[in-house]
Amino acid sequence: MLFYSFFKSLVGKDVVVELKNDLSICGALHSVDQYLNIKLTDISVTDPEKYPHMLSVKNCFIRGSVVRYVQLPADEVDTQLLQDAARKEAMQQKQ
Amino acid sequence: MFRFQSLDEDCTLEEEDTGLVEEEDEIDQFNDDTFGAGAIDDDWQEEHKRLAGLDKRDGPGAELGLEVGGMGGESDLGRGEDSSSTHLLSSAGHLPLPSILPSLKFASSSSGLAPPDMEDRGRGGDLAESLARLILEADPAIAGVGAAERPSPSRSSLSTLQGLDRPRVLPQPPSIPHATQPHQHSHHPQHQLPPGPSASSLPPGPPSSSLLSYQQQQHLMRRGTAPMAQMNSHSIWESSMGFGPVSLTPGLVTHMEDSPLMSIIKEVGLPKRPPQGRIDEGRDLSERVPPPRSSSPVIGSPPVRAVPIGTPPKQPMSHALNHQIHHPTAVHVRAPVQHRFPPPFPERVSPNTLLNIANSPLCRGPFPPGVGPVLSQIQRAQLLNSQVAGFPRGGPGPPLLPGCGGGFRPFFGGPPPPLGHRMGPPPHGHLNHTPPIRHNTTHLHPQHRRMLTQRMQNQGGDRCRTIGDRRSRDPYSNLMTQKEKEWVTKIQMMQLQSTDPYLDDYYYQNYYEKMEKRQERERDSSKKEHTTKLITPQVAKVEHTYRPVQFAGSLGKLTVSSVNNPRKMIDAVVTTRTDDEEKREKQVWNKRRQILYTVEKMYSLLLEVQDFEKRFVQAPEEDREALLEQQKTNTMQLCNSLREKEWDDRVSDEKCVMIMSVRKGKRLISRLLPLLPSPQAAAVVMAISRNIPAIAKKDKQDQVLCWLMEPVSAVIQSMSSSALTDLLQELQGSEGQLVTVLHNKFGVTLLYLILSEGERMQSSDPNCQLMDDNRWTELVFSVTRELLSVPSSSLSPPLFTPTNLLSLFSRYVDRQRLELLQDKLQITSLSR
Repeated sequence: MLFYSFFKSLVGKDVVVELKNDLSICGALHSVDQYLNIKLTDISVTDPEKYPHMLSVKNCFIRGSVVRYVQLPADEVDTQLLQDAARKEAMQQKQ
Repeated sequence: MFRFQSLDEDCTLEEEDTGLVEEEDEIDQFNDDTFGAGAIDDDWQEEHKRLAGLDKRDGPGAELGLEVGGMGGESDLGRGEDSSSTHLLSSAGHLPLPSILPSLKFASSSSGLAPPDMEDRGRGGDLAESLARLILEADPAIAGVGAAERPSPSRSSLSTLQGLDRPRVLPQPPSIPHATQPHQHSHHPQHQLPPGPSASSLPPGPPSSSLLSYQQQQHLMRRGTAPMAQMNSHSIWESSMGFGPVSLTPGLVTHMEDSPLMSIIKEVGLPKRPPQGRIDEGRDLSERVPPPRSSSPVIGSPPVRAVPIGTPPKQPMSHALNHQIHHPTAVHVRAPVQHRFPPPFPERVSPNTLLNIANSPLCRGPFPPGVGPVLSQIQRAQLLNSQVAGFPRGGPGPPLLPGCGGGFRPFFGGPPPPLGHRMGPPPHGHLNHTPPIRHNTTHLHPQHRRMLTQRMQNQGGDRCRTIGDRRSRDPYSNLMTQKEKEWVTKIQMMQLQSTDPYLDDYYYQNYYEKMEKRQERERDSSKKEHTTKLITPQVAKVEHTYRPVQFAGSLGKLTVSSVNNPRKMIDAVVTTRTDDEEKREKQVWNKRRQILYTVEKMYSLLLEVQDFEKRFVQAPEEDREALLEQQKTNTMQLCNSLREKEWDDRVSDEKCVMIMSVRKGKRLISRLLPLLPSPQAAAVVMAISRNIPAIAKKDKQDQVLCWLMEPVSAVIQSMSSSALTDLLQELQGSEGQLVTVLHNKFGVTLLYLILSEGERMQSSDPNCQLMDDNRWTELVFSVTRELLSVPSSSLSPPLFTPTNLLSLFSRYVDRQRLELLQDKLQITSLSR
């Protein structure tokens, strides 16, 4: 649940999602679920000429398994807290 | 394939229950109810035996007598509950009936063979007649087929048949193998009964027996046979349960109709029975059924639901319509309100239960008036054809669910796009309403929600128009009813039910708490908003341990798995290596890994200590003592880890340096310092200052020493004057150390801090001990000397310059030097 919690805190922020098919989508993170499926609103493709079919798309739903990267705003992330959360998760798993 | 008692064998009463064991190879494909609702594991062998065994008795009266005796309805046999018995018998099962007929006829024709108890009843040839009449009257299907062939049985014998047939009631699919037996039987005595009904004269339509779902039948069977006097005189068409002491609630009747099993039967009809060959007659009496269970039959399966968890909701189109039109709600994000949740449910809730909860948000339709109704298929197709694809952003979606318990933290930030907006006539009136509303089933932190609404409001204005256009052309609306959407949502939310939201959602909750604190600090205290807390619903932790079923006296355990208790395949035992082994292994690793390992261990302790307060507040009274104890132990351990050896009181330099050489370690120390007792903390700071050159060197790459500034300054401010002097001395250390210190940002800042603190002490407290010995003065002198001699370029700028440095220096140095210092260090009188 760690990354679900993490992405929840980023809801509303602008992110760039790079998919495994090399498509990069920039948009505002609308929601996320436990599979890390992502919904973006107001999207724009970084290279519109290459993907003209995306011109008219405003919102999209991305299945979590096709995501390669998610580029986040650095100031919205608390790395220390993330590390702590990871430690807690590890402790929980051990028990 | 089936074995029966031979006609010639003497069947005793005791064996009647244990006699027949099935060599049933066919797997019951139709009963694969993996969602648990039907996964009542009962001993099918036993059941089958009871149900089918009665038919197989070819011994005429003997069988009947046995059956009757077994049923225990002896006293009732004589009663002529005609109407009820008629109905009951017909409801009991059409399939076995034809086969009973022959055996009954046996009874009638060979009454001489009847055992004494049969004679007592004085059945004679009446049984067959009454049976046939019953069949004729009750079931038109059978009546139509073999009407002429059956003699009319007498009424009184019907009651016996009821007793016979009641336990044999089975739904079609599971009973097919069983049911085929009676038919085979029917072949058996065929030669003796020319007019007997053929095996194929089965009612193709849904017999009322099959109306009962499997589990209901099981209920009946488990209860065993009840005295017939308790039979109710319901007509079969009203209630198929009419024939027994009602342990089945009337509610089940309605559920029956929902049962997918039944619907399947209704649609498909009964599957055809393969014609069976002649059955073997020999019955192996040595094969016995296992004794009744020694443990509870329902293992880890959820309580029986007539509607299994996986069923989608029904389609009450008219209801949906009414819902939407008559119960409009404008659901919008309000100012954050502290939600009050009902106490957690004792167990996880299924989607259907969640839907049925009395809380209103789900019952109401979410859409404002004017939104179109759910369209029929044709309408949808038309819409799709005529419209352009596209969906609005953040249209009204599933309403908030504050009232629903069973902690779910759903993920849907809003409805999935196709849900967006239900369209009938395009609601132009909506163009000028509020900006796209974010309807959530997520429990957002109030702070988060505030941010989101602000954001949306900022962006909402320009988007209104475009969204209105988009809305008018949404082709994907009305594809799902509201109930369906909610059902899907609930299923997903079930997976998010959490027994410990603090742990599961650690990052999110803490992040927003920190943000709030930060904002409070930044804002002036005049605008005081009290910190809003996120309250997450919680599901109580229920331990479901799998206990494999075991029969008394049998070897091994039976594994019956359902979706809720999957089979335990492996006995996995967690073996943690002892510390000795760990130490040995550690020696093999390289140093850095060792350090990291130590740091991580300390971190886990640290996190526990930091969480202490939160847990303390939440813990009940009796646990608090234990918590306190644990807190002390943890702190102790942390301190010990900094020491060289356990019994040594001093903080180990080596260890500190080791830890500080790693970036993680520096962070750790910075978080640890506030938690340590002050002598320890002071010792740590001293160790740091003693070893600044080494530490600084290691930090060249990371440049993160400055993290330590804040906790260190806190420590310094709490130090005594002598300690402070010592510290300054340590900092200066051996020859040339100060130079290195001055080269390093952290060092410079530390130095300034120390000096500033000394100054503060002197100025605030006249009889401060700082001046008691000359050490302080001397140290300051040397510092100033160094400061002046060091070239400006190599002097690194500090993180911050304390304001009272000037006054400090003015005490000790003459004017000229003071000015020089001022220039060099760029401390001006303004910075006071």
